[in-house]
Amino acid sequence: MKKIFYSIAVILSLVAVSCEEWEPVFGNQGEPDVSTPQTQQVNTTIAQLKALYDGKPLHIDNDLVIGGKIISSDASGNIYRSLYIQDETGAIEVKIGNSGLYNDYKPGQMLYVKCQGLVLGNYGGMLQIGTDDPTGEYETAYIDVKSLISSHIFKGEAGSPVTPQVVSEDELKSAIKLGYKSPYFGKLVTLNNLTYAKEIFVLIYLNSNLDKKASSNRLFLSDQQWGVDTWAFSANKMKEYLLSGVWNSAKIGNSGDYNYGTVEDAFKVLYENAAAYAVSQYFKMPGGTEVQVRSSGYAKFSDQKIDSRILSGDSRINLTGILTNYNGAAQFTLIDLDGVKITN
Amino acid sequence: MNIIKKSAAVLAAVLIGAVLSAQVPTGGVKGTVINRASRTPVEGANLVLKAGAVEIGTIKTDAQGNFLLESLADGMYDLIIEAPGYLPTTVNVTVNDGYVKNMYNLSLSPSIISNEVDDSSFGEFDLDGNGYEDTPTILYDQNDVFNNAASYNFSAVRFKVRGYASESQDVYVAGVKMNDALTGYSPYSLWSGLNEATRSKASVIGSEISPYGIGGYNGLTNIYGTPGQVRPGKRFSVLTNSALYRLRLMGTYAAPENDNGWSYAVSASARLGGNDWVQGVYYRSFAYYLGVEKNWGDVHRLALVTFGAPGQRGAQNASTQEVYDLMGDNMYNSNWGYQNGKMRNARNRITFEPITFLKYDFTPSKELEASATLLFRTGKNGYTALDWYDAPDPRPDYYRNLPSYYYMPNEDYNRLNPQKAAWAREAWQTHQASTAHVDWDRFYYVNRNSEGGRSKYALEERHVDQNDLNLATSLKWRPNPNTILTAGFNAKYNKTEYYKSINDLLGGEYFLDVDQFAERDYSSSAIRVQNDLDYYLGHGEARKVKVGDKYGYDYFANLVKGELWATGKFAFGGLDVTVGGRLGTSTFWREGMVRKGLFPGLDDNGQPIMIGDDIYTTYDQDGNPITSKGPSERKFFTTYAGKVNVAYSLAGGHRFFANAGYFSDSPYFDKSFVAPRTRNTYIHKLDDVKSLSADVNYMYASNGYSLRLTGFYTNIADQTDVMSVYYDLNNSFGNFALSGIDERHVGMELGFEVPTPLSGLSVVGVFTTGEYVYTSTPLLTATVDNSAEPIYDEIPVSYWKGTPMTDGTTQKHYVPSTPQLAASLGLSYFYNYWFIDADVDYFANSYLDMSPLSRTDYATAGPDGVITPEEVEAMTRQEKFDPAWLVNFSVGKSWYYKRKYQYGFSLNAKNILNKTDVKTGGFEQTRMVDNTVSKSRYYNFDPKYFYMQGFNYMLNLYFRF
Repeated sequence: MKKIFYSIAVILSLVAVSCEEWEPVFGNQGEPDVSTPQTQQVNTTIAQLKALYDGKPLHIDNDLVIGGKIISSDASGNIYRSLYIQDETGAIEVKIGNSGLYNDYKPGQMLYVKCQGLVLGNYGGMLQIGTDDPTGEYETAYIDVKSLISSHIFKGEAGSPVTPQVVSEDELKSAIKLGYKSPYFGKLVTLNNLTYAKEIFVLIYLNSNLDKKASSNRLFLSDQQWGVDTWAFSANKMKEYLLSGVWNSAKIGNSGDYNYGTVEDAFKVLYENAAAYAVSQYFKMPGGTEVQVRSSGYAKFSDQKIDSRILSGDSRINLTGILTNYNGAAQFTLIDLDGVKITN
Repeated sequence: MNIIKKSAAVLAAVLIGAVLSAQVPTGGVKGTVINRASRTPVEGANLVLKAGAVEIGTIKTDAQGNFLLESLADGMYDLIIEAPGYLPTTVNVTVNDGYVKNMYNLSLSPSIISNEVDDSSFGEFDLDGNGYEDTPTILYDQNDVFNNAASYNFSAVRFKVRGYASESQDVYVAGVKMNDALTGYSPYSLWSGLNEATRSKASVIGSEISPYGIGGYNGLTNIYGTPGQVRPGKRFSVLTNSALYRLRLMGTYAAPENDNGWSYAVSASARLGGNDWVQGVYYRSFAYYLGVEKNWGDVHRLALVTFGAPGQRGAQNASTQEVYDLMGDNMYNSNWGYQNGKMRNARNRITFEPITFLKYDFTPSKELEASATLLFRTGKNGYTALDWYDAPDPRPDYYRNLPSYYYMPNEDYNRLNPQKAAWAREAWQTHQASTAHVDWDRFYYVNRNSEGGRSKYALEERHVDQNDLNLATSLKWRPNPNTILTAGFNAKYNKTEYYKSINDLLGGEYFLDVDQFAERDYSSSAIRVQNDLDYYLGHGEARKVKVGDKYGYDYFANLVKGELWATGKFAFGGLDVTVGGRLGTSTFWREGMVRKGLFPGLDDNGQPIMIGDDIYTTYDQDGNPITSKGPSERKFFTTYAGKVNVAYSLAGGHRFFANAGYFSDSPYFDKSFVAPRTRNTYIHKLDDVKSLSADVNYMYASNGYSLRLTGFYTNIADQTDVMSVYYDLNNSFGNFALSGIDERHVGMELGFEVPTPLSGLSVVGVFTTGEYVYTSTPLLTATVDNSAEPIYDEIPVSYWKGTPMTDGTTQKHYVPSTPQLAASLGLSYFYNYWFIDADVDYFANSYLDMSPLSRTDYATAGPDGVITPEEVEAMTRQEKFDPAWLVNFSVGKSWYYKRKYQYGFSLNAKNILNKTDVKTGGFEQTRMVDNTVSKSRYYNFDPKYFYMQGFNYMLNLYFRF
């Protein structure tokens, strides 16, 4: 008898050896504490950092730390796998390559970037902080590995959102001239009194599984509106456009190589491979400066109809969003549709 | 209960004497031979009666274990009892004054100490609806020389008898078939932890006919379950093991029948803690059994029993070899992480499904027995999992978190960033918690900072809550000593609710009940994204769900079944012939409880759903509205089966028997709808599953030798399967419905026990091999939850049954997840209440579960649409696992104290060589790398594997009084 109780005691003491394995048994983990903001000592302004770029990807070896308030959100899906941060001197895109960044990073919150080991690069006239792209296809690659993010990107204290800076047409013109060196690009700005230019630009692939560079696989919708009255289009919306026939006369092929028939001829393959596409909707400043409002086909507002007063050209709008630059043209990235205000 | 019945054979000498003379001695001896461990009758035990050295004669026990030797003169005799699989026993019998001496229960010890088949015999893997079902097969028939050794020694590699799926094994409680009404799965977990109360059982193997029903081709086990069948006395045990849970406490008390005919039994147990191998896996499980029985003069018996196993346990998950290698651990479990510094598992099975039954037995005479059981199963069965909305995938081993997502040596993958791969590799190899485990703290951070308190991460609880009402009646009649006729009627009504609810909002205030996958496709339609459209239309907004609220999907499965069966057993000298058949009907239908925005169907007046100017009702190819809410069409099936068993016994312990059966059964509910979570649409080709099975056997049992040799053939035709997977080509939950799956199982089984010159020591061996293959080209229909249009509509899975290899040969495709060759050789020693067992096991020819998608022409063609032999081989060949050796050892001893108390221990050591590289199962992901550089082919994602645990111990201490 004693033997048995002795043995039970031995077993119970053995059982108690690993505490960790009993944690889920009791299930009393408790809620984690509210996390405290991470801080880093900033030693470089965004303008100073951008000034280091001299035309080719810059691998940052020094202990440069920048800090700025988050001015963008990917909640609407129009900005994707990227954040823009802004300090007093300028703004820059940080290519954190995750989706749903708005869950972790809030507009107005401070963000610190330890740049050592990262790469400063240029894409179409926009400077970005990313990581090395060994293929050379782009100047930077996404910072998307968890440990890469956690060792370079630090979430600071929450704060009030940045007030957008109103940029005049003259300032915009000079920024376009200056290119990536302009402090306006990447900033949260407001452009006032734009009118619709009734022109879009979109590049569609007949079959995205095939060579995207082949002329026979490309369809450009440009120089006119092509009946596209939405900010962009999802796959379902593209099918609607195809069925409505508004694109029927558009020619397949690169400019100068329209030897592959029309949309009407290629209807079946286009319909079967319908996908979401980004669209540039063209607007004009009062002095005629063109602004392309480029929206993603994956944005939640992609299929929303643009207000008919805007489409008719009767109404002027003020736009708030991120001012971007694509190969010498002013592009404008809406954070969401709250950035579109009809003025009359 | 113990109806004493004349045996079929009596002593020849006595017979002759009876004819010649009226002065026959009136003395005799009778009794019942039972299994000492299970307290169940031993049929066919051979009794030899000797007076000194003179053999008076032999007799065999009947199906109830009873025997009667009559016409014995007064005197002292030795009664030698032998039975296959038991140690021989000799008892002294004194016959005096011409009375028939009643020996009551004569118990035999199993010659191979059957190690306790318990949860610790197999791991439990709960998988996220990826089509891979891990349901261990337990071999119940411990008296069989093959099953006895195989059940314990082969369990570590998830051996399946003859390659059959677990649902083919019929498990009954008190005469009621308990296999899950909707999936067929063996319902073992309903009484796990009640080993004592459910120990007493009767089994048949293969296509043998059971006294409890016709069954199928993979045996039938009936657990008696009544208190009168629980071993009387008090018993308490403490068990610790390293494989699943640290501690088990179990106590049982059974009171034998008192003078008023009452008997009762109670049992309770707790299983607690984690294990040595898999982090995050734990048990917090309890079990209880309460039974009371009243006997009125052995004519009427009524038993009322209720039992259940409430509890919670954490599950393990499978990962790819890349992940196991990074973690340096084939037992890595991706389901858990740290919350507030403490371990928390995201996958918890939370169940409480009590079973209650009332059993009535009526035994008006020795020739007639009738019984009826009314059994009800109800309760909750929930399984938690992470749910998230528009936020990064939180699973640590998600493929985008792995080094291979950033760099692959094959440039065609377009994964060309070795630096990023190095970052990921380092994080995994150093076991950084936020990379290698679930990051619970981050969920709280995100939810607390989410706009309006909307949880972006939540813990959902997927429910399958059953209400299962059964009636089973049977009648047994013995019109003459050579004939037993049995008939029965069974009925089942099952109503099961499938839904999910919020288990934990993880720091947020609510979760929004919308379909985020539909949102991706119909971002501008507030109607189509609703999971509960009626709520939306009534309230103008999507439902905000809190802890305990149902959301996502909610539907009932309804099933009604009825079946008549009958058997006849006829003895002609040494020849026994048993025939049996069953005939029944089965009906089932789905009933949706919520109207989903994508598939609103018709309104209550039968009109299409129109909101504003838009019609939202959609139609299938046949023009029927696609409906989420309300009842589906009812499907009717006629089920039937026929069986023949022939057995011939020869003197000297030889027995030949052969079984054959043909079965036509309805498909299971869970494999009949293309997307049961969202709509009432059936699989097009819903056929009866037709099986043909036959086996031939030879058994020998004498003088401690025991042998069974079996050859079997089974053909199973027209099975369906529905796999539910995350389908990332469409960013949606996809459903892969396969129809027309045929299998053929051909093989043999050998089990033997040979005594050695050393008393108590015997050699025990089992060997089985076979070929279990797929023999058809099934059709695949793939749908996604958020779209009415099938992605693939009944396309052939061209390479399901084989792969044409580039060298010109053809690789057959095998039924997966069980070794098709398994062998064990061991020594068993039993002496003076010591037992020692040691065995070496070998397993081979085990295969990986296949994904149907990669075996279609679509997958082998690749983006360019051109099928090449190299693509066919690469995409469709089936992985064969490496063979494995195992060494196990067991020792045990029991003692008696003052003839009143018994205590003892058993210690099992499994996998003594500590092998941790043995794959026991796994599955291919239904995913392909499609954005290749060459645009000429796809690549399969890496498969996920389960491995066998390394060295494990189990120590059981018990005390009886």
